[in-house]
Amino acid sequence: MATPLVETRNLKKYFKTGKGMLHAVEDVNLKIYPGKTLGVVGESGCGKSTLGRTILRLHQATSGEVLYNGENILQYKKKDMKKIHLNMQMVFQDPYSSLDPRMSVHNLIAEPVQVCGILKNKAEINEHVRDIMEMCGLPADHANLYPHELDGGLRQRVGLARAMAVSPKFIVCDEPVSALDVSIQAQILNLLMDLQEQRGLSYMFVTHDLCVVKHISDEIMVMYMGQTVEYAKTEELFAHPLHPYTRALLQAVPTIDLSQRNRERITLKGEVTSPIDPAPGCRFAPRCPYATERCRQDVPLKEVAPGHLVACCACSE
Amino acid sequence: MEKDNLLEISDLTVQYNTDDAVVHAVNHFNLNLVRGEARGLVGETGAGKTTLALSILRLLPERVGEVVGGSIRYNGEELLTLPEAEMLPLRGKKISMIFQDPMTSLNPTHTVGDQILEVLDLHFPEMTKAEKAARVDEMMTLVGIPPERKGSFPHEFSGGMKQRIVIAMALVAEPELLLADEPTTALDVTIQAQILELMRQLKEKFNTSVMLITHDLGVVAQFCDSVSVVYAGRVVESGPVEAVFERKANHPYTAGLFNCIPDLNDNQPRLRPIPGHMADPRVVHEGCCFADRCEFATDRCRKEPPVMHTCGDHGILCHLYENKEEF
Repeated sequence: MATPLVETRNLKKYFKTGKGMLHAVEDVNLKIYPGKTLGVVGESGCGKSTLGRTILRLHQATSGEVLYNGENILQYKKKDMKKIHLNMQMVFQDPYSSLDPRMSVHNLIAEPVQVCGILKNKAEINEHVRDIMEMCGLPADHANLYPHELDGGLRQRVGLARAMAVSPKFIVCDEPVSALDVSIQAQILNLLMDLQEQRGLSYMFVTHDLCVVKHISDEIMVMYMGQTVEYAKTEELFAHPLHPYTRALLQAVPTIDLSQRNRERITLKGEVTSPIDPAPGCRFAPRCPYATERCRQDVPLKEVAPGHLVACCACSE
Repeated sequence: MEKDNLLEISDLTVQYNTDDAVVHAVNHFNLNLVRGEARGLVGETGAGKTTLALSILRLLPERVGEVVGGSIRYNGEELLTLPEAEMLPLRGKKISMIFQDPMTSLNPTHTVGDQILEVLDLHFPEMTKAEKAARVDEMMTLVGIPPERKGSFPHEFSGGMKQRIVIAMALVAEPELLLADEPTTALDVTIQAQILELMRQLKEKFNTSVMLITHDLGVVAQFCDSVSVVYAGRVVESGPVEAVFERKANHPYTAGLFNCIPDLNDNQPRLRPIPGHMADPRVVHEGCCFADRCEFATDRCRKEPPVMHTCGDHGILCHLYENKEEF
């Protein structure tokens, strides 16, 4: 097996709050291979965005390791980190607030090139920006427009172009299509997949939308309150979802399939409990219909089938 | 009329007169809502869905929003010409609305109990204080929030709970018609499933008619009886959910929407997005409003506006279905 491009080992991120320690990311182990996509699914507040940001060191990890090509980047100095950021980029969720409204499309895309010092010559930069715009499906005559003149889909293309401008190998996509209409969403998903095919990119695709994640991912990690509850290949996860939370998530998705109408479904009771100083044991137990006494102890991830890991004492036996 | 129509909208045209241009938000809009039915109103951003809901309640922004023509009849009564004094008892009592964003549609300076109570204070002055308090408690229990929490302020609740409060406010007067504008868009899927289930139960209990405005075809398939697909302020397709979601005969725009959705039960390698962008609402189209993005468009589509072709309750606004008897 090839070495993973990006790997985390027991990665933790806690935030100090007035009420105690907020456990946003708890012991996450993941591996992303070159040219592959890992989908990270979960509901708001489950720590999926924090995980993405911690991997890129936009948040300082509390403990654990982040390996890029086998090297722990958490020990890198600022100067070395800059080089790593040439390879690791991020696309943000909200194309309305993640672009500086006072910069033109051209300047927005040229900025990362200048900051990283890849190209110095003005003519070269201009040519590079033109190439990137074409690659991301932005019409050349849009170069002098400002973000407010673009619709959501075009803005997200600019966000993607900014990430692509430094020719990265790995991109964290943090809900890149959630704010978009379905017809635009499909355009952006196709673009992401084309770029992956042409350039061998690896993605970590963070989303709450199971349909989208199924479409784009090779492997999927389901998160609940900072912990990995299930981790498997995409086909395996959708064919044999094991964790009660994964199953409930799958059932909750409204599909356009009419045969699914009026069927009995397990609707989860209650809401996500507080991630501040959580009690030991399975964090999903308060909402789980199958919870027993045993769930109060810590439940480790267990491999139940090749490559299929699940953290549940009921289904790993 | 054989069917018991609660709401009849015909040929409604609404525009916004802004400083720069006239924005044609709703164009010749037709819709009938049968009593007790849940109708989905599907379309993308800028299709005019919210404008339509605001027109029904006569809440369009003053001076800017203007109803140019058409009629909205509620229980046979024309709403557009109704004096404001007669509109007040309808609004919130007979017709109520759930707004999209539960975070901003509650008043942060009042307790949630008071906000539910306000509806009763306004519309039921004959009720005693104790009766009203009991009704608020009952309503909160119904939406799954313990009545002890009525003294809490909106910021003390999560998004899903706030939306439950908003639903309690909308339903406390037992309205005949509920306009729900993207009620679950801001929520997580598991919470969305809870809220839709709750709305379904309450709809059965009070026999409320619901107009569910959404961009999510999946939500429509699971919740609604019938659906109207809106594009550029027009209904381009309408009919029972079974007929539309059968996907045998659809307006090219509806078919395009279906192709954009990655399906959980299907493995398609690539999605097929609808080419181009949403029609500019400032431009008046000579022919079909979707012609610029339609793969079947002919010269006729660009010149001559199509009319609604129907088969039973299923209607499609497209020249393609002109001579088809059945679809």
